[in-house]
Amino acid sequence: MIELTNVTKKFGNMTAVNNLSLHIEKGSLTMFIGPSGCGKTTTLRMINRLTPFDRGNIIVNGTPVKDIDPVELRRNIGYVIQEIGLFPHFTVFENIAIVPRLLKWEQKKIEQRIEEILELVTLNQSFAQKYPLQLSGGEKQRVGLARALAAEPEILLMDEPFGAIDPINRLKLQDSFLEIQEEIKKTIVFVTHDINEAIKLGDKIAIINEGNLIQYDNVSKILSDPANEFVENLLGQDRNIKALSLKKAKDYVLKDGFITVLDTESHESIEKKMKEKNIGIAFALDKNNHLKSRFVLEKATKIKKQKFIYNPVPWIIERQNNINETLSKMLEAGEKQLPVVNRKKEFVGIIKLSNIFEEVNKKTNISRGIKLIT
Amino acid sequence: MNILSYYLNNFDRIISALEVHILIFSVSLIFSIIIGISISIFVTQEGRKKIGRIVLSVMGAAQSVPSLAIIALIFIFVGIGVKPAIIALVIYGLVPIIFNTTSGILSVRPNIIEAGRGMGLTQNQLLWRVKIPIALPVIMGGIRSSATIIIGSATVAAVIGGGGLGDFIFIGLRMHKPEMLISGAITVSLLAIIVDYIMAKIEKKVVSKGLQIKKT
Repeated sequence: MIELTNVTKKFGNMTAVNNLSLHIEKGSLTMFIGPSGCGKTTTLRMINRLTPFDRGNIIVNGTPVKDIDPVELRRNIGYVIQEIGLFPHFTVFENIAIVPRLLKWEQKKIEQRIEEILELVTLNQSFAQKYPLQLSGGEKQRVGLARALAAEPEILLMDEPFGAIDPINRLKLQDSFLEIQEEIKKTIVFVTHDINEAIKLGDKIAIINEGNLIQYDNVSKILSDPANEFVENLLGQDRNIKALSLKKAKDYVLKDGFITVLDTESHESIEKKMKEKNIGIAFALDKNNHLKSRFVLEKATKIKKQKFIYNPVPWIIERQNNINETLSKMLEAGEKQLPVVNRKKEFVGIIKLSNIFEEVNKKTNISRGIKLIT
Repeated sequence: MNILSYYLNNFDRIISALEVHILIFSVSLIFSIIIGISISIFVTQEGRKKIGRIVLSVMGAAQSVPSLAIIALIFIFVGIGVKPAIIALVIYGLVPIIFNTTSGILSVRPNIIEAGRGMGLTQNQLLWRVKIPIALPVIMGGIRSSATIIIGSATVAAVIGGGGLGDFIFIGLRMHKPEMLISGAITVSLLAIIVDYIMAKIEKKVVSKGLQIKKT
């Protein structure tokens, strides 16, 4: 999809990018990471010719970028930067419509597309008529992503898109970004300086230092097999724990062991259903499949009678939460199983503590040759 | 009472002087806008930022030159009449327009321009769809002060035969006719206030709502 061959860029005497070769696969999310000034942003900007390169060749979709008119090239590649750069004098609608309008789409098609894309980035349709100044940081970021995706480019270039967002919202944006990517399968090049972000989001990571490509591989390969000390330091002491974070809640979602009911049903009928099926947990969903509440039927013991508990605001796990986040939520909630939802807050299943521990156990056995006592 | 009766007795003359004044003002302002914005666009093009900054400091200094000095200079080189008056007013009116337009365009945040380029806007599209609309509140501010300055200076331009309401003031001054002087002064002041009001309305209309909302 994107092929960089021996690309070199100098700013005066300083070599920003040195003889860099890299093949980016179609539909993959490739993270560029390295210290500031390492050439990762320069490399990204050379792909859409915002920065010209001195030597080498970059081929996008079979055509050398040097042979494509830069304006034409950029209209076919989505681009998101850290400060987003929404146009303050345009509404959200007009901002998203910029590239489709440049490409002379029909008004009707544009309107349809914007409705679709707002849905994709989980923004309410009423946002279309708002102005950027009326949005929060996270909302601006979503609009920025929507704008970059509006004309359905195959390639998306993202330059530290979540860099200016506070840590809590950044995690949320990363989760929903991953879900969106799962849906749209674009070829994405993503620049970051945050190793956790690189591990969490990336299919592949390209580690760059002083203009040189140090290591380029799958995330798990990089974690298990760092090329040199530089990569080891970048990954940090806790790279084994980081490796755990590669697993996501969605890998453990169970579709059984619970029942779902409509949130309009009476508690009595729910209790009856649970007793009939002999199932201890029920989730009440509304028509849109949104999780509304949870019911627990505790088993009777010798000293305790059977108890029916109604939980109006249950803890939830997002599909894209990694195991670390999932475990931490479970500990906080004091629960052995929690419901899982997707970015649209639709219920998808449950996740069990015991399943996660099985995985940890397996991993430890393989890598250390010792057995974890559970 | 004197002033009122003077005003009523000479109403026709005042109105025709007002018409001349408005004509001189409008022609001068339109030329100032066209020339001023063109110059600003020229000096703020990519790669000419240095020239833009120089122009800014020159214009900053030029704002302190008195209008009479410019009018006198034009009189020396071009002579007497309506045309020299308009030339002087256009030059004088250029200063705030160039100053504001240049600084407005130069202060559009670089990330907005970067995003625009990254989406494939051409230089022209960047200028007309992004830079100028975003700088418009500042540009309109420049046009407004230019309008006020031109109306005021047009009064002074009467000394080189520009005509208009300035005639009333200067003749009234020379002939010791305070009622004549005051009639001219009041009319020209009203004109300035009304024009500024209209300009403010236009500004509100043409500037995007997105730039007018206060952050909540």
